[in-house]
Amino acid sequence: MHEQVKNILNQVRGEPPNILQSLLALQGELGHVSADMVPVIAKSLGVTTAEVAGVLSYYPDLRPSAPGRHVIRVCMGESCYANGCGRVLRELQERLRADIHETMPGGRFTLDTMSCAGNCAVSPTVIIDDDLYGRVLPSQLDGMLERYR
Amino acid sequence: MVTRLYLSNDTSARAAGAAALAEAWSDRADVQLIRTSSRGAFYLEPMVERDGPDGRIAWFNVSPQDLPAILSGTGGTAVHTIPFLAQQVRYTFANFGETEPLSLDEYQARGGLSGLEAAFRLTPDAIIEELRVSQLRGRGGAAFPVWNKWKVAQQAKGAQKYVVANSDEGDAGTYCDRMILEGDSFRLLEGMLICARAIGAGRGYVYCRQEYPAASATLRAAIHKADEAELLELNGEPFPIEVIEGAGSYVCGEETALLESLEGKRGVVRARPPYPAQSGLYGCPTIVSNVLTFATIPQILSRGGSWHASLGTEQSRGTIVLQLGGRVKHPGLVEVPFGLSLHQVLEQFGGGMAPGSRFKAVQVGGPLGSLFPTTGLELPICYDAFAKAGAVLGHGGIVVYDHETDMVDLARHFMAFTADESCGKCTPCRIGSVRGREILERIQAGSGTMDDLRLLDDLGETMKLASLCALGGRAPYPVLTAIEHFPAEFRSKLRA
Repeated sequence: MHEQVKNILNQVRGEPPNILQSLLALQGELGHVSADMVPVIAKSLGVTTAEVAGVLSYYPDLRPSAPGRHVIRVCMGESCYANGCGRVLRELQERLRADIHETMPGGRFTLDTMSCAGNCAVSPTVIIDDDLYGRVLPSQLDGMLERYR
Repeated sequence: MVTRLYLSNDTSARAAGAAALAEAWSDRADVQLIRTSSRGAFYLEPMVERDGPDGRIAWFNVSPQDLPAILSGTGGTAVHTIPFLAQQVRYTFANFGETEPLSLDEYQARGGLSGLEAAFRLTPDAIIEELRVSQLRGRGGAAFPVWNKWKVAQQAKGAQKYVVANSDEGDAGTYCDRMILEGDSFRLLEGMLICARAIGAGRGYVYCRQEYPAASATLRAAIHKADEAELLELNGEPFPIEVIEGAGSYVCGEETALLESLEGKRGVVRARPPYPAQSGLYGCPTIVSNVLTFATIPQILSRGGSWHASLGTEQSRGTIVLQLGGRVKHPGLVEVPFGLSLHQVLEQFGGGMAPGSRFKAVQVGGPLGSLFPTTGLELPICYDAFAKAGAVLGHGGIVVYDHETDMVDLARHFMAFTADESCGKCTPCRIGSVRGREILERIQAGSGTMDDLRLLDDLGETMKLASLCALGGRAPYPVLTAIEHFPAEFRSKLRA
């Protein structure tokens, strides 16, 4: 693990070192940044473990553990709220048997929320991996989930 | 015969069905598909256009089987007769729906880069003077006079100076920055270059939120094209512009938290002063402005500051870009001079309520914006009138809630948002938002009392007065205006 982490960090190395961009690069390659990588990262960047752990815990998009095979994000912005994202989220929780930030049994989906996708005029919005769906109706969810095994 | 059709490549247009159309028609030899930006009339998307004798002709809410009608030219509507668009006064968004986002030639053919050329003919002082005359105020939310900020940065001493575009468009209900990045990136770059020339900056950054992958990809491609065309140069020196992505933190849209995040740290708010214009990125003088602000600047230089000052109202010059969402019939982007009333905007452009919905409240200015009931709709949309009403325009988001909205749950939703997003630096926001959420959860569960409502009021006043930044300072507004305008809903849930 150490060598792989160092190699990825070397690709984004700058002066002064940028902890957030380093962690994003690691997550891009490895899928997540676990707590046991923190000392290695800190040493490689020449910063303290507290600084790395602080950044890791601060940003919602940085994941300390591996997500499921597919990540679903339900937008909770105000336009989505007005257009029924609450119902969409509840239906997904029931179908996936997972709460927010949880991965369903078997690891197929991780369920997340987000505060705004900027798709407010075509809301409510659900994002699965890199695919953004707008004007989502609860009745469409089964068909959408089918596409991701 | 090959027919040229125009189809938007904007994220929301694709979500509305443009992506499916492009896929369905990809192997048609008789169709040449041009992927443009979106006009912002999202209720009509996916919209397909073709050239007509008198400008473009459009077909609305198109599905793949509509192609024969489009190719035979039956049933289309002339774009210039669509009321939603015809009633707008578009300057910053004039290119939208017309051009291919990454065509520098088209950008130039429609007046692009003439602002930068004008700036090259002026001294830095004269550029700032033009902005002073224009009376442009920052469009991100704080509405600070742009020239003033530039003057401070110009006069500040520093080994390096930076221009930073704030593209962390986190206010829910807003999407105009995303549209600019995806649809007219060169306009942002032109505005940043003008700023760099005025203050003497050597480097630019665009802090783009992670939630906008298409925006950052398009912007990176535009930067590459601009660089190839040797546009990213000032006084013979390179002026590199780099895109840096965020990681999902709302408060990083606050300028000092953004700078911390740009430096790779926790996105925690800095105490001001010093302001970023004096001491910003890595302690150097830095202009942080919203994407829309930068995109407004090229035309102020090419048309003149007095042109800009001739639009709008006394304290609010120029145009405002409103973004309609929620339960309106016609969600979409509206650019008009300041001064129309909320009512006019919702009727003229919003088209009234979505089918089956009755109006309950409208929220202006994102998740920290005030709520207005039916009786508050005569308010003119401009900074001074909103300030007088204790409200903000923010970044121009307008979300309409209908009769099914539970105001207690909505208030809880707002406080939970702040509790989630607070950076934790100041106590009123860090603890106040959690306590506020708990009180609202208690009321929602039916165990709240009149004392809880009084407590919320007291807590709200403390957060307003004592928070370090606008997140904590504005968070009470949507909650307190919900209680003010819909008191019966809150009281009916209290324990007897």
